[in-house]
Amino acid sequence: MSEVILKTESVSKTFTMGKREIQALSNLDLQVKKGEFVAIMGPSGSGKTTLLNVLGCLDKPTGGKVVLDGVNVAELPEKELYKIRRNKIGFIFQTFNLLPYLNAIENVELPMECTKKPRSERRERARKLLELVGLAGREKHRPQRLSAGEQQRVAIARALTNDPAIILADEPTGNLDTKSKYEIVRLLANLNVDRGTTVVMVTHDSRVAAQTERILLLNDGKIVKEKQGLHLAKKRLTCPYCGSKVQPNDERCSNCKRRLWKPEENRS
Amino acid sequence: MKVNRLGALTRAVRNISRRKMRAFLVIIALGFSMAIMISIPAGIVANQEATQSLTENFNSTMSNVQAEINKTTTLIDCRTSSGRGAFSGTPSGMPPWGSQQGEAFINETVVDEIRSIEGVKDVVPFLEKSSEETTSETINTPRGSFTISRPLYTIIGVSLNSSFIDSYSTLPTNITAGVPLRDGDSGILLMSSNLSDYLGVGLGDKVEVYGEYFTVAGIYEPTSEGSMQTRTVYMNISDVQTITGNIGNVSRLDVYAMNVSDVDEIGDVIKAAYSELSVTTYNDRLTNIERLQEMYTETLNTAESTLSQTQTIATQEIIVAVAATSLIVLFVMLYTVRERTKEIGTLKAIGFSNWNVMSQFMLEGILISVMAGVVGIAIGSIGAPFLSSLLLPHVSLFGGSSGRFQPSFGSANLGTTESATATAALDPQLMLLTFGVAALLGAFGSLYPAWRAARTRPAEAMRYE
Repeated sequence: MSEVILKTESVSKTFTMGKREIQALSNLDLQVKKGEFVAIMGPSGSGKTTLLNVLGCLDKPTGGKVVLDGVNVAELPEKELYKIRRNKIGFIFQTFNLLPYLNAIENVELPMECTKKPRSERRERARKLLELVGLAGREKHRPQRLSAGEQQRVAIARALTNDPAIILADEPTGNLDTKSKYEIVRLLANLNVDRGTTVVMVTHDSRVAAQTERILLLNDGKIVKEKQGLHLAKKRLTCPYCGSKVQPNDERCSNCKRRLWKPEENRS
Repeated sequence: MKVNRLGALTRAVRNISRRKMRAFLVIIALGFSMAIMISIPAGIVANQEATQSLTENFNSTMSNVQAEINKTTTLIDCRTSSGRGAFSGTPSGMPPWGSQQGEAFINETVVDEIRSIEGVKDVVPFLEKSSEETTSETINTPRGSFTISRPLYTIIGVSLNSSFIDSYSTLPTNITAGVPLRDGDSGILLMSSNLSDYLGVGLGDKVEVYGEYFTVAGIYEPTSEGSMQTRTVYMNISDVQTITGNIGNVSRLDVYAMNVSDVDEIGDVIKAAYSELSVTTYNDRLTNIERLQEMYTETLNTAESTLSQTQTIATQEIIVAVAATSLIVLFVMLYTVRERTKEIGTLKAIGFSNWNVMSQFMLEGILISVMAGVVGIAIGSIGAPFLSSLLLPHVSLFGGSSGRFQPSFGSANLGTTESATATAALDPQLMLLTFGVAALLGAFGSLYPAWRAARTRPAEAMRYE
């Protein structure tokens, strides 16, 4: 089947706090295939964010391998990791982490600033990405003039800027209201379906996790359970009521006019 | 490693302008440090110029006096105790105009009496008188400035006997316009070029002297320079006697001995016979000039040691100002880095290298310092004289350190400090240097904070609240 884009082998991460050692990740094995939409769930302190930091080269594991797009990033020196983060990974954070003194388009352009792309090309790409996430016309707005959901959309556009191999999202819906929460998860799901973007998302919201393809349950630094998600975005490509073809962004089926997507569907 | 400088600069500017009040206060504080850095060298330059000008003036004076003395080894200078005249006769080394009050005169019968003394070759009489017109001049001293009033020019009445003129050079020789005075001339005068410039009169013009009109027959260039340039007119002695109401009087006698060996003896005879005359022989003049030289050397040494002390203080103050500037930048940038830890984490997460992050923060530090440089130049341009007088104890606010030396020279215009300070602050080279120093201090001060920002581990930075 699809190639494996991200793989960990016996990854462990230990934090030392004074004389105490805390095992955040313990011999964790994980495989993410290209184009997959994976959710990582688990209680607080289970190691979700640590795992995401290790996968995203923000932190180095104390043991094991992390192979991203064929490269064992665990072996790379700290000063080389920025290239991996710049070219292979797109980050989405719970608190959006937009630079408050830059407007939406400048925030999206930011990861391209250290690349050799000409300014006009960078600007055009950022504009298109903002359009993709539904923020056309809001390019010049600074973060404080955008709603939380809109800010997260800007952050998603920023994550897509350098066409990464994988998007790592740390609780992307954690700071959003219910409406925005589903808009964002739907946006991620659509990106996954339309563009084939691999997404690994940490969440503790089971309804959000249900929108993914595969859900990994983490506890005490280990994956303890794995289950299939609904991934309604994929299913939505054919109308479940009349079977006719629909577009991923359609609210209703153009044929039978029935609602294709509503948050209530996910409550299981 | 490629950094988009324009983007980094835009971010730096926006970040600084985000916290306007903080940026304003920091820039003002840094600006003052920069202003101090500008003002101190300006003050030093002014001090150096004043000292140099003083040295040049002394050297010029000394060479003039020396030349004057050397050509008159047989001259015995006799003048009424408060008479006026050339350098040679003033025991304290005071300038010629130093005693304008109470001009005294002696009857000209003394000329023949002295001429009859054994060994005397000739006696040349003069009548010197101050002009009626006066001019005021401000003198700066460390205790404050005061204004003195002095005669506008000196009138020298000379005997126009052609044998005197030819043998003893009683009249100025470097005539630049017109003709010198000759035996029998009356109603005309010879004027120094500085007086003709001052009065705006030229050859053939008539000038009023003690109520009478005299024609300018010639204009001469004074030989002495700087402070020694006195404004003078030469006239027939009989004209001066008439117009000043001193008929039959003289104020100075140049007594010439036959032989150099007789000079001291003749001097002693005159001293004994005419107590109202102040008598100086060649040896007296040598002693006087030595005294004068000592005094000048002492003054110059004081000036130089003052300059050296001032330079030491200035160096220390510049070091303090540089350290203060660097420390302000350091603390502000450290605070900024701490405050923006999460942003640093984000930048690193989206692919900024350590160098990208470091250059971003250094650019901000440099930018703040350069802005402070502009403020510093503005403050320095206006307040350099005040700041340098405040910080350098030997430079006074008006007229500078030169003021303290002026009483020895009177009219010497050595007060260059004020103009030097003001022009130094506006000098484009100094401005450029200030920007350079500002950028350098900004880079230096922000180096450590920027390095700390760069080595922040992204995962830790993201956890920072």
